[in-house]
Amino acid sequence: MKKRLGIILLFTLLFIGFIVNWGYSYKKGLEEAYIPIKKESSGPVIYSEKKVFERSQFALEYLNMPVDEAHQRSLNSYYDNRAYPGAPPSIPHFLLEGERGMGGKACLQCHQNGGFVEKFNAYAPVTPHPEMINCKQCHVAQNSSSNFRETTFYKSITASVGSNSALPGSPPMIPHQIQMRENCLSCHAGPAAPKEIRVTHPERVNCLQCHVADTRDFVEIQTFVRTKSLKK
Amino acid sequence: MYTSMTNRRKFIKKMAMLSAMTAAAAMFPGILFADEQERGIPDGSNLDWKKAPCRFCGVGCGVLIGTENGKAVAVKGDPKSPVNKGLCCVKGYHSIIALYGKDRLTKPLIKKNGQYVETSMKEALDLIASKMKETIKEYGKDAVSIYGSGQWTIPDGYVASKLFKGCIGTNNVEANARLCMATAVTGFLTSFGLDEPMGCYEDIDYADTFVLWGNNMAEMHPVLFSRLLDQRLKKGVKIIDFATRTTRTSMAADRSILFKPQTDLAVANAICYEIVHNGWMNRSFVEEHCNFSKGLTDMGYGLEDGYKFTDKPEKINFEDYKTFLEDYTPEKASKISGVTVKDIKYLAAQFGDPNKKVMSLWCMGMNQHSRGTWMNNLVYNIHLLTGKISEPGNSPFSLTGQPSACGTVREVGTLTHKLPHGVVTNKEHREFAAKIWDVPVENIPSKPTYHTVEMFRALDRGDIRFMWIQVTNPMVSMPKLKRYRDGAKKEGRFIVVSDIYPTPTTDIADVILPSAMWIEREGMYGNSERRTQYFEQMLEPPGEAMSDTMQLIEVAKRMGYEKQFYYKEETHIEEVYNEYRKHHVGKKHNMAPLEVLKSQPGALWPYVDGKSTKWRFNSKYDPACSNGKDFHFYGKPDGKAIIWQRPYEPAAEEPDAEYPFWLGTGRVVEHWHTGSMTRRIPVLHKAMPHGYVELHPEDAKRMQIRNGDSVKLTTRRGEIILPASVDQRGIPAPMQVFVPFFDENMLINDITLDSFCPISKEPDYKKCAVKVEKV
Repeated sequence: MKKRLGIILLFTLLFIGFIVNWGYSYKKGLEEAYIPIKKESSGPVIYSEKKVFERSQFALEYLNMPVDEAHQRSLNSYYDNRAYPGAPPSIPHFLLEGERGMGGKACLQCHQNGGFVEKFNAYAPVTPHPEMINCKQCHVAQNSSSNFRETTFYKSITASVGSNSALPGSPPMIPHQIQMRENCLSCHAGPAAPKEIRVTHPERVNCLQCHVADTRDFVEIQTFVRTKSLKK
Repeated sequence: MYTSMTNRRKFIKKMAMLSAMTAAAAMFPGILFADEQERGIPDGSNLDWKKAPCRFCGVGCGVLIGTENGKAVAVKGDPKSPVNKGLCCVKGYHSIIALYGKDRLTKPLIKKNGQYVETSMKEALDLIASKMKETIKEYGKDAVSIYGSGQWTIPDGYVASKLFKGCIGTNNVEANARLCMATAVTGFLTSFGLDEPMGCYEDIDYADTFVLWGNNMAEMHPVLFSRLLDQRLKKGVKIIDFATRTTRTSMAADRSILFKPQTDLAVANAICYEIVHNGWMNRSFVEEHCNFSKGLTDMGYGLEDGYKFTDKPEKINFEDYKTFLEDYTPEKASKISGVTVKDIKYLAAQFGDPNKKVMSLWCMGMNQHSRGTWMNNLVYNIHLLTGKISEPGNSPFSLTGQPSACGTVREVGTLTHKLPHGVVTNKEHREFAAKIWDVPVENIPSKPTYHTVEMFRALDRGDIRFMWIQVTNPMVSMPKLKRYRDGAKKEGRFIVVSDIYPTPTTDIADVILPSAMWIEREGMYGNSERRTQYFEQMLEPPGEAMSDTMQLIEVAKRMGYEKQFYYKEETHIEEVYNEYRKHHVGKKHNMAPLEVLKSQPGALWPYVDGKSTKWRFNSKYDPACSNGKDFHFYGKPDGKAIIWQRPYEPAAEEPDAEYPFWLGTGRVVEHWHTGSMTRRIPVLHKAMPHGYVELHPEDAKRMQIRNGDSVKLTTRRGEIILPASVDQRGIPAPMQVFVPFFDENMLINDITLDSFCPISKEPDYKKCAVKVEKV
């Protein structure tokens, strides 16, 4: 008798345990998914200034990277890929993930940090704006080599290397706009950087300390003139 | 063997190319060029490279100047310099272009009937000498004055002090460093009894944590900041930005902590509270090497003419100090400062961790502060309480902004109360100086006269009738500028300005003297880390331009002081420097001999037994330590440093209903101070063509102000219209605005306030109340 009672008690307990557990999980399942939001820093962020320092944690690796001369890009091929200086480059290769491939799962696999891609026999250029993942909103494929009609669009002349320094040996000015390209290292360092503009000193991460913009706001900037002049 | 002409020509061409390549490699040491990158860059093979300290900021980078056919044509960082190790900033790389502005002053100009008339140097110097004599005769010695700068070379400042204090007999000698470094000086003197940092830049290589106190180093001391960034790459040091405004430095830092203007006093005290209450205090260090003191409080702000203040230090004990700190628990300090308790504790823990070496760095945020001396004291308190001072990597380090603020103003002592060695109020110091100067000791008055702000007030009132301004631009840099500009223009004032370009200051001059700039003459600068650096004359000055030293010597001779100004023209710099060294003889301040300065990129004083002293007050490194202990703060009579009890007090003018915003001013990486040189460098001007007012994006949105819109700023002193800058270089906190002061066409100082630190008399440019409107 005692034994039977014991068995019944055991099963009752198990059953209650099952009900409680099932009820708890069912309730949890009904709750809204919640991802705690991490507050990043106390102060505001100056986007254009902050971006300059991104990737700088790799600066020493950039410095020690051997140059793979056989697979270097040149400034010419860099600009060939753009409709005008500063235009988003088009995609010069077939799409590995197809037309519906999107950001993190497709393009960024190679273009977030770069590296050699066997299939294309080239180093993937690094994007200066990996946080924007709808890549094909701006970058489109080159699916045809012919034109629908010829165009008279004038592709303006690109800044040439070696002509942006004020003095022999002085740091060149930045001859291009930097909106969307605030992170200097992504284009100017690493094996995919065009050989003419690959920085010789990637470990100097405060780039704007020496290199200042000279096309600020696209405004024609006059020489500094004193509003008053000496009356002679 | 026969070679055809064509072949030979080819051969020579090839050789030339080869030598050009080697020259290029020599030009940029450590940097290998790919062929592609060299294309289009002139080779610079026939350049003659000579070393100099940079002309601009107080970091004192070593630069090499390339000259060709008597013109400076290129600049590179000096790889031998321990300061910058071959790196410069954009200003340094383009500095030589500032020599060649089209409107360079080349002839003396004398104002006659409202017009400037060209004249000869001889006539101009005669006029200055006779005008000075006349003024002294009519109004007394204290009616003539000289206002120089931290850009004066050491000989410039030395002869100025000798002429005015030693020969004429007036203490009317001041320099613009009063506007930037005076607080650092009084901070050092009150805490340690001796001026200038105990450590040096090498501390950067040893520290684990860097705390930047209101210091936008990425823009203002970029080369040193690069050394911090280098250390972060190499060993992962932490950089903490503690500031009132979000800047490029905040973006590069590991942590950015914002506080409300003026409340750094409360936070620093809260850090001390945490150190004391968490057992982080280095008891043996404090007992052995520190005293506790308190001074007067509620000192006022110096807004009224003739304001005087002398602190009355009073010794207290540790228990008193501990009781005082009860007012600054992290919770209480958080309420005052707006910094979270967590952040305050985080900061305190950095100093409290016995395994971390901490370097504090600061510049104008702490010095241009109406309680600046207190704030300097408080940072020393933190380092003294934890014993993190005077050893490699543990270093409270006060940075400077001018190439020779330390070398000339602080060491030569071109301030009203100072002598090259000691102060005018001390009889022995006066006797010592008089002996070297070869003047009767009675010549040197025992009472200081006017500090800078008061000097310009005296000019306005008419107590001063003659002022000679050299190498500085007060008509852009003085606070509450309008009053002082109007004062200087009054009848019966005679103003001489020595400069290289026309500026708003030459606009008020009666005589303008063209000066030789930087490497157009010989001289020395002294940088922030006690490094004295020599530069030779590399170029001929344009037209009749003459060095400031020679201008002063010539006038001194004309005033009848040939005996004291015996220097020969060819060797005067050497003679002046050797005479100056006599003032600093001894283990505590010995200056390096000139031959040493010529042979290497500078030397740190005290220079004892052929060696620079890198860490003062530490017996391992400093031969002047004599108490037999590890540390000896020999600036104080009992060899102990002072931990000061300094409370939080509000600023002179805080925002209210009518003027609801804070206004702070400052600088940008491209321009140096008032921009009279850097704005004439096309690269820098193009990058930063004009002034602006920075607003917080939310304030801008509320007032419907977009980037570039015109904004009117109004304070109790006046109004000014500036283009808005939203989300650009920096972001001020909500209800604060920031304006850089380099633009002489948008004179922000017309509306700033001339409140100053009562102890140092340095104005607070960072805080006044302002109204902001869209126009």
